Amino acid sequence: MVLVVGGFFDDSGHEDPGHPERPDRVTAALAGVADLHLDSDLVTAAPREATRAELLRVHHGGYLDELGALCYGGGGDIDQDTYATYDSWTIAKHAAGGGLAVIDELQRRNEGVGFVAARPPGHHALADRAMGFCLLNNVAVATAALLEEGERVLVLDWDVHHGNGTQQIFWDEPSVLYVSTHQWPLFPGSGYAGEVGGRHAIDRTVNLPVPAGATGDVLRRAIEEVAAPVISDFDPTWVLVSAGFDAHRDDPMANLELTSDDFAELALLAASFAPQPGRLAMFLEGGYDLLALRTSVHATLGAVLGARPEFEGLSSGGPGSDHVARVQRERVAAIDSLHTFNAEEGGA
Amino acid sequence: MNDVKMIAVGYDGSRESDAAVRWAFHMARETNAYVTVVHATGLLEHLGTNFSPGVAPPALSAIAKKCGFDQARLRWSVTDGDACSVLFRAVNPPINAELLVVGSRGRGEHSGMLMGSTSLEVVEHATLPVVVVPSDFVPRAVLN
Repeated sequence: MVLVVGGFFDDSGHEDPGHPERPDRVTAALAGVADLHLDSDLVTAAPREATRAELLRVHHGGYLDELGALCYGGGGDIDQDTYATYDSWTIAKHAAGGGLAVIDELQRRNEGVGFVAARPPGHHALADRAMGFCLLNNVAVATAALLEEGERVLVLDWDVHHGNGTQQIFWDEPSVLYVSTHQWPLFPGSGYAGEVGGRHAIDRTVNLPVPAGATGDVLRRAIEEVAAPVISDFDPTWVLVSAGFDAHRDDPMANLELTSDDFAELALLAASFAPQPGRLAMFLEGGYDLLALRTSVHATLGAVLGARPEFEGLSSGGPGSDHVARVQRERVAAIDSLHTFNAEEGGA
Repeated sequence: MNDVKMIAVGYDGSRESDAAVRWAFHMARETNAYVTVVHATGLLEHLGTNFSPGVAPPALSAIAKKCGFDQARLRWSVTDGDACSVLFRAVNPPINAELLVVGSRGRGEHSGMLMGSTSLEVVEHATLPVVVVPSDFVPRAVLN
């Protein structure tokens, strides 16, 4: 099977010395790709910027203007976590465009799997605000492009942090199903099980929070027991993955216990939700331990391409199994409340 | 103002947030209100020094003492999230803030433009009164 990799662009100008979101991350991710030795089965999507019109599908024009102006003015710290440099505007537009290019290539081939090895990451970026290392929401820009074509898009987000930006952008959009596994409590503080979507998109958001120390078996069980039935009903025509690798046990940013092999299992789950070949693309989000990032990318892409290199083995036995039933109860209660609200308000 | 029972003030250890805390303590002392000092834990705090959820930073006690604010009326809250979201959530239980206080600019915020200004973001979207305190604010009572 072909792997379509996108996002190739010189990102060295988006760097803040000492900051963990750094160019070496993409180098590590691409080393993980190279470790697959795909030869002619490796295809690169031509780099391109996302256009203003493509960005405006998810971001406010005023925010884009302000971000661009900040960068052209030399950049600076946007908040306690997030920075921009003179080059960040161009690099961020290429990261968003990388996803679009990968999708174009997959559509043209009608086969293969996509991987967007670009930074800065995107899933915390809100419609009108940068946040959590993210400037533009890459997976949301790709999702919005697919929506324009009438597709139904599942966004599966296994980054260790909740993708608050993606959730917010598609909160009331019935043609997008957002499913997130994440450590909780943890930054950004959102991602409660009871957040299930807006009144026009009830049950189109599935949050699966797990406690610190949770292992891969807990995440898989949460997806299989809680999310899979919702995904089946939704019947996606595309699957996009916010593939953060900071849930790895060696990652310094959080406290989950996943291994590279656990990401391979999650990838196989994601692939099982895709309706046909050429309808699965993964977007690099977090992942700050470079070796863990490299092996996790290797394991993840290897799994969906039919190879199955083994690394640390699967993790299991961590806390959180009892959370799954609680998550389901909280979701049902929230969904019932929204249906009641809609009924009393005369329907959505 | 006398009806305000709980003031929430954003704190990140910066000079600007010190000024906001001074204003909040001063106002609370005059109105007999409680103050919850709110710290938002960002992504990078997992890599470096953290504010402990259980223990208020000694700097706050020092400010309270200087302002003559009864520390029994001081609450300390550490919450995961970006500063804006965390401050907005202070309106809900368990804090139930009726007034938000922020410094004019927080740690790590860009100094030239609108972008990156927690205070402007809070003012724009808050559902309760907001006070933005200049970084050089010192209550007259403290000066005296």
